Amino acid sequence: MSISTAELGAKSALGPKREGPLVWLARMLGPDHRLGYLFILPTIVLVLVLVAYPFCYAIYLSLTRKYVGVPPVFVGFDNYVKLTFDGFFQRAVINSFIFTFGSVAVKLVLGMVMALVLTSGIRFRSFWTGVLLIPWVAPTVVSALNFLWIFDYSLGVLNYMLVKVFHLLPQGVGWLSEPGTAMASVIGVNIWRGFPFFGISFLAGLRAIPAEMYEAAAVDGAGPLLRFRHVTLPGIRNILIIVMLLSTIWTFNDFQIVYILTRGGPGGATQVLPVFTYEIAFGAQRLGEAIAVALYMLPALAAVIIVLARYMRQGRGRA
Amino acid sequence: MNKGLVARLQLAGSYGFLVTLLVIVVFPFYWMTVTSFKGEEQMRSLVSMFWPSPVVTDNYRHLLGKTEFVAWFGNSVIVSISSTFLATAIGTIGAYALARLKFLGRAFMSSAVLITYLVPPAILFIPLYAQIRTLGLADSLGGLIVAYPSFTIPFVTWLLMGYFESIPVELEEAAMIDGATRFGAFRRVILPLAAPGVLAAGLYAFTQSWNEFLYALVFITDVKLRTLPVGLSTFITGDVYGWGYLMAGAVLTTLPVIAAYVYLQKYMVEGLTAGSVKG
Repeated sequence: MSISTAELGAKSALGPKREGPLVWLARMLGPDHRLGYLFILPTIVLVLVLVAYPFCYAIYLSLTRKYVGVPPVFVGFDNYVKLTFDGFFQRAVINSFIFTFGSVAVKLVLGMVMALVLTSGIRFRSFWTGVLLIPWVAPTVVSALNFLWIFDYSLGVLNYMLVKVFHLLPQGVGWLSEPGTAMASVIGVNIWRGFPFFGISFLAGLRAIPAEMYEAAAVDGAGPLLRFRHVTLPGIRNILIIVMLLSTIWTFNDFQIVYILTRGGPGGATQVLPVFTYEIAFGAQRLGEAIAVALYMLPALAAVIIVLARYMRQGRGRA
Repeated sequence: MNKGLVARLQLAGSYGFLVTLLVIVVFPFYWMTVTSFKGEEQMRSLVSMFWPSPVVTDNYRHLLGKTEFVAWFGNSVIVSISSTFLATAIGTIGAYALARLKFLGRAFMSSAVLITYLVPPAILFIPLYAQIRTLGLADSLGGLIVAYPSFTIPFVTWLLMGYFESIPVELEEAAMIDGATRFGAFRRVILPLAAPGVLAAGLYAFTQSWNEFLYALVFITDVKLRTLPVGLSTFITGDVYGWGYLMAGAVLTTLPVIAAYVYLQKYMVEGLTAGSVKG
């Protein structure tokens, strides 16, 4: 409304050839700017209030000494420097990497096999897909609690099967209470929950590869391995990269599974960064330090996010 | 070896792999259901491991009568449904603006939304908690209803941008030539066509909110205001009897999500994978 009156005003005062500043502004803002800004405004407000501002505040807090209920004291990079030489923190970083890469590698292989099997002339494909996706849909906390019960030392069904049913072990294993098995167990649960996402994404990618490409490769004498290497992999390259990077971010920041199953124990054997952050913030009440833990990996995370965002936009055809 | 034999072996291997995976995927749910119908005596004595005998409903009675489970269920319903409506409404119009309308800053905002979707809650939960407290929403369901869209809106927007872009511009232009306003074209032409996408996005937002744990754990201290995932996790006592009603609670917490999934699988699969592969 304001634009059309401005336009009229401009025309009557300055003649038809020259444009008023408001018209120029309207042109700058684009033809749909009124509805556009109206529609995007709620999202902008929400992102600013709930993500952007807290994020900037977090960066500031990580440069302070801050306890709950006491005003922050600026200390520069002290928190980060202290963390660098903190044995518990170093251990959490190493554990996070083991947890993430161990889990992502297995999810990748399982997901790939799942997708290949589901495109290989299997019957009832939608049944298999539907059932195999359940761990991804079900509440993660519930699944973690299920596994806590399955892994239970004296009454858990896993030890019962290994000892009493299949006689594979003379006695049960404290899956979550022994340092040797705890990490493998939490990784196992993360794989269980996450592999369907890999499988279903790869499946969608495989089905987009034209059958003629495989036929042409077969005519050229390429065996199954060569066809996988030269037709399948290039065909799903983008999806492969996107899924791997997405899963790396999610797994690195997975809080629930470790929190429910071990709380980082036994003796820090499964302590990962998100749980460590939580413990320092709400156990030790040292907020500045806790945020520094959370943000320590920010440069690496930002790099992954930028690469990933580029691939995701490419997938939509507007890189 | 002849080719037919190789093909048959391959097929057998495929089915073997799928069946193994199926057992691994389904067993925890089977086990949780079986446990929820077992009595304390049976659990302690390790008899008839894989089937409850006798089938008892004590665990469910204890869960519904002697714990705050019913209140938590209500809280989860309120929080998930409210935040889902909020996120779906805001995300739908936002996605339409970013996908279709031409205005200054659109490209930048699209990138910002995508990056927001990729920032993990684990690095945001402490400052977000401070922010929720500043807004006076600490220790209230309102705090969660406001906080959950911070991760559901970016996803809904990203998913629906792809959806809106796949609808031909000509449909909108035709409506506008027929005298519809831009908003009218959106409401009467585009929105109905995008309904399946909106449903997929909404379902995804709902499951994400229903399953959310970290914010609910941090923002809520009042026992009565807990949501289901946090409430259930407080049942971990190490006691034998605790496992019975914990698993009963696990069954009832999983059911709504699985029921939605079974009925609306097509839409949900779309929503679940759209984040990465919708092209």
